[in-house]
Amino acid sequence: MLARAVPLVLLVAAGVYLTLALRLPFGAAARPGAGFYPVFVAVFAIVVALAATASAYRSAPGTAAIELDAASRRRVVISVVALVAFCLAMPWIGYPVAALAFVTVILRYLGGRWTTALLTGVLSSAGSYVLFAVLLDVPLPRGPW
Amino acid sequence: MGPLEGLAYGFSVALLPSNLFACFIGVLVGTIVGVLPGIGPVGAMALLLPSTFAMHPATALIMLAGIYYGAMYGGSTTSILVNVPGEAGSVVTLLDGYQMTRRGRAGAALTIAAVGSFVAGTIGVVGIMLAAGWLADVAIQFGPPEYFAITLGGILLLSRLSGGSILNAFVMVALGLALGTVGMDSISALRRFTFGSVQLAQGVELVPVIMGVYGVAEVLLLAEEGIAKTQIASVKLRELLPTSEEWRRSTMPIARGSVVGFLTGLVPGPAAVLSTFIAYTLEKKVSKTPEKFGTGMIEGVAGPEAANNGATAGAMVPLLSLGIPFSPATAILLGALVVHGLQPGPLMISQRPEVFWGFVASMYIGNLMLLILNLPLVGVFVTVLRLPQHILATLVLLLCLVGAFSLSNSFLDLWVLVIFGVFGYALRKLRVDPSPMVVALVLGPMMEKTLRQALFLTRGSVVDLVARPLSATILILAAAALLGPPLIRLLRGRRFAKPIPQG
Repeated sequence: MLARAVPLVLLVAAGVYLTLALRLPFGAAARPGAGFYPVFVAVFAIVVALAATASAYRSAPGTAAIELDAASRRRVVISVVALVAFCLAMPWIGYPVAALAFVTVILRYLGGRWTTALLTGVLSSAGSYVLFAVLLDVPLPRGPW
Repeated sequence: MGPLEGLAYGFSVALLPSNLFACFIGVLVGTIVGVLPGIGPVGAMALLLPSTFAMHPATALIMLAGIYYGAMYGGSTTSILVNVPGEAGSVVTLLDGYQMTRRGRAGAALTIAAVGSFVAGTIGVVGIMLAAGWLADVAIQFGPPEYFAITLGGILLLSRLSGGSILNAFVMVALGLALGTVGMDSISALRRFTFGSVQLAQGVELVPVIMGVYGVAEVLLLAEEGIAKTQIASVKLRELLPTSEEWRRSTMPIARGSVVGFLTGLVPGPAAVLSTFIAYTLEKKVSKTPEKFGTGMIEGVAGPEAANNGATAGAMVPLLSLGIPFSPATAILLGALVVHGLQPGPLMISQRPEVFWGFVASMYIGNLMLLILNLPLVGVFVTVLRLPQHILATLVLLLCLVGAFSLSNSFLDLWVLVIFGVFGYALRKLRVDPSPMVVALVLGPMMEKTLRQALFLTRGSVVDLVARPLSATILILAAAALLGPPLIRLLRGRRFAKPIPQG
């Protein structure tokens, strides 16, 4: 499924890109405008994405390498969900809490014990906050507390 | 400044305590990420890039490049001892390296790999000194048309060489070029493809993209496995010495690997990986007993391990003398210099000699440090492999998140990181190499700028653009490299019906 979905998504994206590129001033060959080069890129992108989509639909579906067992898939999905949740939550709850929750949840679901996961979460969250926010002056959000 | 004078000056820069320290940190981190499967040199360079913003440009370059060539040393350790490549440049090493371990010659394989890397690294630095200076002298005459031809030719070549299907590589290139146009147009100041976002006007930042496809994606692959235990063969210090027979058999492969590696590094493409395959095939061809390869032949370790180090050196030449990066790793080095307002190119060698020569001299020092780190201390790095991988992987994810945010304190970079992490993971599952996308993202804006400048110069004539002697030569070379191999295969296929045996 993935092998067919990716080129198809890219083909749609290339189409959107072309329509946007055509709205930019094209200029002329001697005075190329902001849309000049993007139009060529868009045409190239559409041609190769079409070819890739066609070849994906011609070949046999479901390559073995892509199949995962349920446990592996769950671990990957949890990791991705944790990443997205971290990005969504960090501006609101602050870096230290977000990092603590992030590390603890991932470690727990990768198969560690709760205690190890929580301890690593506390240490890594505090350690990275001191290193980056205190020592290196990165303005990591602290949260409402 | 002549090469010898320049080198002497370079050592006076590289031996400054701050630069020595940066070099040590670089090669140390490089060795560690090389040893660890999962995170590779490119991800680590991207992670540490923000920390170099406060440094002198020469110091930043010294440290980041140290990670790159240091990883080539570390990668072989894991290949030889665990039968898992520490990073992509060491895949070939495990074919014969791990077989040597099974026969009790792990120590000899490690020593030959480290010495081979050292010799190739040193020869490579001499190569940089000579080639970069010469190329810079030539490049001074280059105008926009030539630079346009180099970037276009480079992207085409890269797609040809990146392995896998050329169609997939072209899709990656198209995506990279399109991403490169997002943001403020450098000539008309018009905002393009930003969907009204103020932050996107800066464009899609390279570093979160690289952290995503080389950092987050790798960790997601590790997450599939869950908690895995690695079996590591142990090595004693006195077993490290190869026999005189093993030394004798390795000498020529190291020499050949060094040259092959350096030359591969000059060409656009994933040089470090590619060079090891070329070197392995070459050793098999010149060997009197090619059928024994794969059973623990020391030549199969010596040649490729020399080659990947030669390639990291060779890859510096186009970056330093033309200012054009042909690989994700050199793209990060370019980023580190551009942050400081330094534009690598033909003028940098004469105008900022402390950066160029300091960097070259630091590579001699770094290779020496690596020889010490990777031989007597190899046991220390092997213990890194005993650390719980899932904890390391999670910490890498957290570091990627903080690192991406710290680039410009922007939440947008966090999202770029996550999106490209997931996308990079999907590409890995589809066995598509993301590096053409990364390189196109860097070269795209250069290509557009030089194309528009060149068209201004030729008043819109495409013929004038490509018919200049230098740009025509470059484009013909690129076309030959692109179309040559399939044509040769076609002609050969007609003459010999029998397929050429592979592998």
